[in-house]
Amino acid sequence: MKILIVDDSSTMRRIIINTLSRIGYTDVVEGEHGKAGLEKLAQGGVEMIITDWNMPEMDGLEFVQAVRTQNASIPILMVTTNAAKEDIVQALQAGVNNYVVKPFTPDTLKEKIESLLG
Amino acid sequence: MDQSEIDALMTKGPAKAGKKGGAEAQAKPAGTVNPDDPQGHVISELDAVTAVTERETNKVMDQLDLISTLVGSQQTLITEVMRHPGAQDPAVQTAVNQLMAAGKEIQAKVYEAMDLMQFQDITRQKLERIVFHLRQIHDYIVDLLGTGLKSEGERASISRTITSTGTTPDEKRAHADSVVDEFKRSLNKD
Repeated sequence: MKILIVDDSSTMRRIIINTLSRIGYTDVVEGEHGKAGLEKLAQGGVEMIITDWNMPEMDGLEFVQAVRTQNASIPILMVTTNAAKEDIVQALQAGVNNYVVKPFTPDTLKEKIESLLG
Repeated sequence: MDQSEIDALMTKGPAKAGKKGGAEAQAKPAGTVNPDDPQGHVISELDAVTAVTERETNKVMDQLDLISTLVGSQQTLITEVMRHPGAQDPAVQTAVNQLMAAGKEIQAKVYEAMDLMQFQDITRQKLERIVFHLRQIHDYIVDLLGTGLKSEGERASISRTITSTGTTPDEKRAHADSVVDEFKRSLNKD
């Protein structure tokens, strides 16, 4: 299972990769913003996306919208500091399948990933 | 951050701009406007702080990774020792089991510490929000001095822009799971 992680913070990408490896997902590709994420996605093989919202170049919401124009079914999990109800609804309307507010625990990430893949 | 970088930051501003913008700044006396750095030295410093904390956090992560690897190697060695005929003594077995348990506890604490490093990204975004506020205030004051007082409508527009950027204030935080469930239920109804 190849997972694409899109986040402009190298620390956050590292934390997510570390958490994923602890729960058994080691095949990971990374992008530092939406545009880089789309490039990685175009290379193929990605089966799930974990994306941040606030990023330079192309933010997470624009990225999700762009992904959904070409792939309606790939599971997308948004992991962000944006925690207002209107933000969460906006992300869901854009095509996000589930939503995690930072800071998260490994258990939360595991639960969300498993529910998306299950 | 080493002493030379701290000195550079204190005297001349950041050595390089942060990744989300910010220009190299020169120190200016208070109250002086630098035309090459219209956003001001403070904003550049905040950008530099976010870049430095990210770099330093990654160094901490490197050390935690190293500890994790060392603990893993130690666990492998202990397992080897336990297979040795001389290690079958009950007292030795007890000690070795305690060592294994301590190793697992260290590993769990290392993972916990790694997870806590999320504070860096959250703090960075809070600083970016402050930078955004400062830029808005800066632009507003410049505009105010140049063209007179803004209308109530324009003020409200600025306020909305600030509210919708960066981290969410505590009073506006929602429970994500509840919102997701509510959204999915509303889709099912339709």
